[in-house]
Amino acid sequence: MQCAESLRVQAHFDGQVDALCAAEIERHLEHCAECRALLQNLEEVRTRLRRDVSYEGAPPELRSQIMCALDLEVGAVRDIAAAPRRIARGSALGRGRVFWSAIGGGIGGAALAAVVGALLFIPRVDSPLSGEIVSAHVRSLMPSHLIDVVSADKHTVKPWFAGHADVSPVVADFDSQGFKLIGGRADYIDHQRSAVVVYQHGPHVINLFSWVGTHRLPSNATRNGYHLAFWSQGDVEYCAVSDTSWDELLELVRLLREQA
Amino acid sequence: MMDDKRARFEAQVLPHLDAAYRFARWLCPAAGEADDVVQDAILRAFRGFDGLRGSEAKAWFLSIVRNCHLTAAKQQQRRAFVPLPEESDAVDGHAMIATTPNPESDSILSDQKQVLERLMASLPQEHRMVLILREIEEMDYAQIAAVTGVPIGTVMSRLARSRAALKSKWLKEVEGKPRAVR
Repeated sequence: MQCAESLRVQAHFDGQVDALCAAEIERHLEHCAECRALLQNLEEVRTRLRRDVSYEGAPPELRSQIMCALDLEVGAVRDIAAAPRRIARGSALGRGRVFWSAIGGGIGGAALAAVVGALLFIPRVDSPLSGEIVSAHVRSLMPSHLIDVVSADKHTVKPWFAGHADVSPVVADFDSQGFKLIGGRADYIDHQRSAVVVYQHGPHVINLFSWVGTHRLPSNATRNGYHLAFWSQGDVEYCAVSDTSWDELLELVRLLREQA
Repeated sequence: MMDDKRARFEAQVLPHLDAAYRFARWLCPAAGEADDVVQDAILRAFRGFDGLRGSEAKAWFLSIVRNCHLTAAKQQQRRAFVPLPEESDAVDGHAMIATTPNPESDSILSDQKQVLERLMASLPQEHRMVLILREIEEMDYAQIAAVTGVPIGTVMSRLARSRAALKSKWLKEVEGKPRAVR
């Protein structure tokens, strides 16, 4: 029933034949009504599929989980390679680890400890601050890792840091300007307990990291699609991270600097 | 060395994460299953990344997704149990910040979209697979053969059959509702 050339016509339609073969098929199409109809059907099916089949990408949560799984995978291999050094450094880091076990207690505690462990054993040289912060930001977007103290009230968030971080950052709510304070979190950045203020801007989460330091800060950068804006105020260094646009991120930075 | 591998992996394989996710969604429509399959595939791909030569990262990665799906499906068959409904969904961190309604919600999805997705879902899996890889991911025959693990000739005949089947199913659907707005 079907024309013997139908598969070749399809291949031509899919751009899978060379020029010589294409010319042959074009000639065939001129006097084969069945194949002309087939070609029209192929076109119709393609148009419909490309127009109406949803073209969604991987959801951001899945993407962060994957980045984290890769962090763990890289860390696990590095741990094996760096086993002797790990013992030597272990004792000095004891305090931090006890702190993290306490924070992480409950669901995900073990996983969190493993991530922090992996992070700690990465030698400083091949782990610049920006990379560390992006990892922490992505990790925070995983379910139930975002916020330790949920509050839109700066008078709740700021005192909370006193017991949980080594730094007391600027905490302010800019709800009317579109940056809603949603809480705070302690994180481990640059070998200290860093304070993280969490803002929501539309559908985006902005993590504002802060830590004590006076080294030369990296310049603003985009890593893995996340923007990082650095600045310092006194002896406190800040980094705002988000997947929002640069303009919006820098607007929050401007508002924060005005607060000081 | 690990960081170098990670960087190369991120540059060559991660750009295909969206395609892998879409592909997995068509392989396993149950909610959440595609996420597990893609996560599994990423780790397998990373571990086997040293074996990847040339530039066919997309086909290579999608074939791993397909293998992970097969493994998962086999395991599920063996266990043959009915999973409990997810109860943790409501309390995860994302729910807290999702203040805008999901734009992809059913009410907004057009009628035609729904019909098409239903018709696609009714095709045999191996037919649906080649159709998606060709029309949505725009892969060539050789790449589709690599992902699905069948010869190019089989890819061609499956494509022809799935396109014809979809077309006739669509016609039946439209004729069944003669007054449907087109």
